[in-house]
Order: sequence, then structure tokens, then C-alpha cells
Amino acid sequence: MAKTKHSPQAKLVGTAALFTLSGFALLALKNLDVQTALMALVVPIAFIIVCTLIPKLFPADRLLLTLVNFLCVLGIMVLYRISPEKGMTQAVNYGFGVIFMIVCMLIIRHMHRLKALVWLAAATAVVLMLLPLAIGKEVNGAQAWISIVGVNFQPSEIVKVVLLIVVAYFLSKRRILIAISYAGVCLALLMLQKDLGTALLYYAVTLSMLFASTGSFALLGGGLAGGAAAGMLGYSMFSHVKRRVAIWRDPWFDYNGAGYQVVQSLIAIVNGGLTGVGLGVGNTHVIPAHDTDFIFSVILNEFGAIFGICVVFIYVMIFLRGIAISLRCNHRFHALMALGGSLFIAFQAFVIIGGNIKMIPLTGVTLPFVSYGGSSLLSSLGIIGILQGIESINEDHIAADAMMATIGDEV
Amino acid sequence: MKLLRKNIGMIAAVMTILILSLIAYGTYSVSTQGNRWFASGANTYIRQMKRDVIAGDIYDRNGIVLATTDAEGKRIYQEDAGARRAVVHVIGDTANNVGYGVESFMSNYLYGFSASYFQKLAHALRGEKMHGSNVTLSIDSNLSNYVASIFPAGKKGAVVVMNYATGELMSLQSFPSFDPNNITENVKTDPLQPFWNNATRWTSAPGSTFKIITLAAALKNIPGAVDKSFECSGELPVMDSIVRDAGNASHGRLSLKRAFAQSCNVTFANIALQMGDERLKEAARLFGTGDYFLFQDIVVEDSAYPTAGRSDKELAWTGVGQSALQMTPLHMTMIAGSIAYDGVMMEPRILQRAVTGNGEITAQMTPKHYLQPLDKTTADLICDYMVEAVRSGTGSRANVSGHRIAGKTGTAEIDGQEQSNAWFVGFIDEPQYPYAVCVVVMEGGGGGSVAAPIAGKIFSAITGASTSK
Repeated sequence: MAKTKHSPQAKLVGTAALFTLSGFALLALKNLDVQTALMALVVPIAFIIVCTLIPKLFPADRLLLTLVNFLCVLGIMVLYRISPEKGMTQAVNYGFGVIFMIVCMLIIRHMHRLKALVWLAAATAVVLMLLPLAIGKEVNGAQAWISIVGVNFQPSEIVKVVLLIVVAYFLSKRRILIAISYAGVCLALLMLQKDLGTALLYYAVTLSMLFASTGSFALLGGGLAGGAAAGMLGYSMFSHVKRRVAIWRDPWFDYNGAGYQVVQSLIAIVNGGLTGVGLGVGNTHVIPAHDTDFIFSVILNEFGAIFGICVVFIYVMIFLRGIAISLRCNHRFHALMALGGSLFIAFQAFVIIGGNIKMIPLTGVTLPFVSYGGSSLLSSLGIIGILQGIESINEDHIAADAMMATIGDEV
Repeated sequence: MKLLRKNIGMIAAVMTILILSLIAYGTYSVSTQGNRWFASGANTYIRQMKRDVIAGDIYDRNGIVLATTDAEGKRIYQEDAGARRAVVHVIGDTANNVGYGVESFMSNYLYGFSASYFQKLAHALRGEKMHGSNVTLSIDSNLSNYVASIFPAGKKGAVVVMNYATGELMSLQSFPSFDPNNITENVKTDPLQPFWNNATRWTSAPGSTFKIITLAAALKNIPGAVDKSFECSGELPVMDSIVRDAGNASHGRLSLKRAFAQSCNVTFANIALQMGDERLKEAARLFGTGDYFLFQDIVVEDSAYPTAGRSDKELAWTGVGQSALQMTPLHMTMIAGSIAYDGVMMEPRILQRAVTGNGEITAQMTPKHYLQPLDKTTADLICDYMVEAVRSGTGSRANVSGHRIAGKTGTAEIDGQEQSNAWFVGFIDEPQYPYAVCVVVMEGGGGGSVAAPIAGKIFSAITGASTSK
């Protein structure tokens, strides 16, 4: 696709950069410091570079790339507004995330040489998942975090990327039992970590991949029944699950105690109204976990419901771009991986936004690309790297086909 | 590959619908419950706004100032302590001890949250404090004072007076009351819980006033019920319990109309048993029991028909308004109102209008139909029965000579209470006085002897006051 001077792509990147610039400029006026003013320049420029440079290196899906990066810089902006230190850290995370995304793109592009590594990656992932149980610490009722040389991270986030590759690989080789067993082991480890939000994601994504690969409604029904049984078991086994469900049913019953989080989230949403109270002037500090679980409520509060609906549509578009990539694939392996990756992002966004607006019980997962946290940003961008890698292979195939067609014409 | 693509397409469709349902659910829940979340005491944003905005005034329907703001920004209520106490549960207080009073539930008007951005900007540029809208309520302050003066001192209870043709609430009172200007430790620790609004947020078994619903169910489900005669021997054994009549009376052979007027438990328990649980439950549902009340102006606790352990014994007791029924005094008023208004139940309203500082009207009350639980013919018939109950039945002490008063008494026995809760619901069956009334005196004794006389005085006040104009 040749880039013209005023392509829709360039306009989109320009508009998003302008949005980021004005947002940070507003924060600079509020904070009156040099750092914020610098951010108002650096962040939009970094955004433009990432959005225009990567497609020059590989044939990538530009719309997908732009939307994802927009959500990332939106996250940096909102986090910077909540606390400049967190915003700066997230900006650094973003830098690492982009590198990881490129690495994942390269891995997928050259996967045919790395097939032996699938088993190794699978084993490494299991070891990683065992670590929190051995040396982890408990956060919000889940034992899912480890600390290595002073860096905290959540192995289950990084394992998402591995799981995607491993499950898609075995399903594409029709070795369904291995795929199910591997996903089962990962799920069991997550249950042991009591990280039920992430377990729900893994479960939904692998079940969908399984169904897509086999088309068997019997397997789908069995999987759903098994999930329901596991859910019931989780409900009766873990007190914090029971509490979450009770809060979901009526957060107002104990609005200063157990229901406080959800109640403050709902209040923040209605305070924002359609157009929001404005960046930097909302009462965001009263919303608990405003940088992670409830960042969407902060966005609704300060930017308003119309903008919030746009953010939901951005997730829909990201998802559908991923599905489009999946549908263009020539290999089952790539198609399944692209499907799983798109689902990871979309389902995670659904679960946490649904929890914020009290549509479903709250599960502590992050809002992809936006929430504070290196592990989460890294894994989400890694998944996008996988999607982009597959897209680049698709483009190569299309180019090759076109070449063949021209040769045919000449003959 | 083809099959795989088809499956991917299916999954994509499901996931897309899931995400889009977020928007549908969010829009629905904010539009139906958003004002409740906003007005909650947990909203720190309102507290913040209160410092920057001069709150609007609150008037009663006749223009009496119920609340205003002085030069220092302090909230001033009526001068007379009795008058302050009579409307405090409607108005609420600045500290939000009363949940969902007008002070918090109407804060979007009072604190100008509904003002446009240009208005807000203009005020910010001029450096003035913004003025919230003035709000006029349907409440009648003088009538409320009068009601408070005749309610038995020291008793817990509630009184509701509602215009059944428009839904406007004239008086909505909870006892004991308190003075918003003088909230002492005693008030906060009083076991009778003066902050709690018993009229809207206290639910209990309504005793024999529920027979209105049992009667409506019987007229619908038992053919020829009007002409049937019933035998009352004074007691009806059901399983391990015996349904008795008040004072162990035995009514002998009597018509349905007399059974209603005499509030015969044996007959109505029999009717409930004859119909079965489903039909009685359905009748209660038609009157709004089990509804999720999401009224525009007022927060009302939901009423509930019991569902656990439905044996014949429970059913028989439900038919006479006992067992685990949960109804609020306001809901019982609405039920009586629907009998009076040809079977149409109006949504209760409190806000008549909101006017900004510039005289712009931002809200204006329009009556809203809430439900139609029964047709006009059945409503007229039940109305006749209720008139009979007041003329020559248990509700005789609510009667006002020269007027057509309808009503039903209730004496609800509650486990663990020494005395019964006294109930009366009724209305004036005259188009020029379209008012329904509910009186509850908790641990007050008999509905006919304690609640009905209070209702009678309110009916006299309404009709007398209006005729003297």
C-alpha cells in the first residue's frame, strides 16, 4: 500500500498525536512544570515514530498498529494525570513493550525455523507459572506476582503469549489432547495462584480456539460444562469469589465497606456524564485501584461517556482487525494464533469494563494497553506483535501470489 | 480451512456482540439508576460542588420556603421547629443522615449540575459563585404539620397522603422525626431510628389491608364470588396452626362484601387456599409487588411476595396479609389509589418544578401512569366494598359525614412485638378530593381503633380546609 501525503492513515496518526499533545499540554498548565511540558512533546513524537516506522520495517496492519498505540499513550496520559511517577514508569514500560512487540513479530515471521522451541517454550512457561507459588507474594487475594532482581512481574501475563503459540501449534497439528492438557495445566496453576480473572481469560480463549479448530459442539458443550463446574467449585472454595459476587449483586448494601470500589466506580461514571468533568479535575483519587482495575472509570469520569463508548469501539475495531488477519491466513497455525490473540485482548477488555460498570462481577484483570503495569502492557503488545507478524506473512503470501500472477501473464 | 474460517466467524460475532452489550448495558443502567448513584451519600463530588455553588431554595406547593441558603452559604430550614420536623424526611439534611432526601436526590437541580457548560464558564469567568435551581415540591407543609400534630407521640410509624389522580405526594412522613437544626447524640443513638424514612424504606406485613389484593384476586379467579356466601366459624385449622379472627369473633354466614367489611380472616384465608399460591402471587405482582421501583423523584424500597416454604399454612396467612409479606406504606397508598382511580396506579411524584436563577424552567411535573393492576369495573366493585368497610365495618372511625370515604384496616401481628402494627389505607371517593391516605402506627394496636381515627382526621382536614376556601 503506497503512502500518499494525506492518506487516511496519516490523518488518523496526526489526530491521535494532536489529542495526546493537547492532553499533556492541559496537564502541563495544571502542573506548571517542565517535565509535563516535555512529555507533551515527547509522547506524541514517540507515537508518530512507532506508527510510521514499524510499517516501513515489515508489512504490518497500520490501522491495528495505530489504534493499539493510541490506547497505550492514552494510558500513559491518564496515568500521568493520576501520578506523574506512574505515568513516567508506564512510558518506560511502553518502550519495552514496543521492543517486545517487534521481537514477537520477528519470532512469528521466522517461526518455521524455531519449531523445536515450542516444547522448550511450553516447559519454560510452566516453570514460570510455578514460581509465584514458590516465591511469590499475595496481592488482592491472588498469589500471582514474583519479584526478580527488584522487578515485580506477573508470569501469567507473559505466559499468555506462550500459551497462544503452544495451543495453536498443537491444534494445527491436530494433536488436540496435548493442547487441552497443556491449557489444563496452565489453568490449574492459575487456580492454585488464586488468580481467577486471568484463569477465566485463559479458559475462554483456549476453549474458543479449540472450538474453531474442531468445530465440535460436543467439545464446546463439554468445555462450557467443565467451566461452569470449575466456576461453582471456585465459588464454594474461595471466600473472595463469594464476596465479589455478593458485591456485584448489591454493592450499595455496604457502600462504605465491601461495596466501596464498585460504588465509587459507578458514581465516577455518572459524575462524568456525557462529556466528562475534564482531564485533571475529576475526583479520581477516591476511586480505588484507579490506575489498574478501575482505569476505565477514570476515563469515563474525566473524558465522559461518549469518549468511553469510543474506547469500547476501539477495542471492537482492534478485535475485528485481528479476526480479519486470522481469516486471511493460509495456515491453520497462524489462523488459530491470530484468533486467540484477538480474543485475549477483546475478552480481557470485556471482563474488566463489564466489572467497572457492574454488568458482571469484578475480576482483577487489567484494561489491555491502558492499565498501569509492565507485565500486562508487555503481554498485550506481545500479542499484537504476534498478530502483526502473521499479517506480515499474509502480506508476503499476497505479494508472492501477485508475483506468480504477473509471471503467468508474461508466459 | 473453510470450516475453520466459518468457526472463526461465529466466534468473532459472539465476541463482538459481547463487547457491544457493554454499551447497551451501561446506557441502560445509567439512564435508569444514574440519578440514584449520583445522589448517594458516597458521592464526594457533590460535597465538593457544595462549596462552590449556592444551593437553590426548596418550596412547598403553596410557596412556603422549606429550605434556603444564607449569605454565608449555610442551609436554613423553616423557623418553626414543628414545621421543620414534619418535612425533614422529605427534605433530608445537609449531612445526608436521611438517605435520598430532596437535598441529595435533587442535587442535580439544587447544585446546578444540570446547568450548561456555557453557564458554568460564564460564572467562572466572572468569578461569581453559581446559583443552583430553586425547586418546588408537591408537599403541603401545613398539612404535614397537622399530620405530625395528631400522630401519637413517641410512636414509630408513617403517614402518606397522595393525590391518586396525579401521583403528587402531599405529605410523606415518618415517625419519630428529628430537627435538622439540632441533631443531638440522642437522635443518632435512638433505637427508634429517627433518620430512617419509614414511609418509603420500611417494609413489613401490611396485615388485613392486603385483603384488597386477595379480594382483587378472588374477583378475577373465583367465578360468581360476589354472590357467594361464606361460613365463618371463628377458626380455620390449617396444618399446625389455626387462623382466627380478631377478638376470636365468629361471623357466621356472610357475603363476600360483609366478610371484607368485617375483615374476616377465616373467609379470606379460605379464599387464598381455594385460589392457590400462584394466583394470589400473580394478583400481588399486578399491583407492583416484586417490581424494581425506579421512580423518577423518589427512592422506594421494593415490595416482596414471600417465596420460601410455601405451604398451605403460609398461603392462608398470606391471604390475610400476614406471613413474610413485605410492603411499604407508600406502596400500600399507591394500591389504594389504584382502586380509587379506576384501576390506574400513578407513579408517586414529589418534584413540581425546578427553576434556574434566570427563571428558566428546567423540570416540570407531568403525571405518569405506573401500572394498571385491574379494570374499572373491578376497581369500582372493590371501591364499594371499601366504602362499606368504612360505613359499617372495621374502618368506621375513619368516616367523615357527608363524604364518601373508602378504606381498609389492618392489624399486623409481628413476631417478637408485644403489640400489633396498626394500619389503615383508604381514600376519598370524590373527584374534587382525589386523595389516598395510608397510616401506620407500629406497635400501636388495632388498625380500626388506632390508625383509622388518624386517617379520619386527615380526611376531615382535607375536605374541611378545601370547603372553607
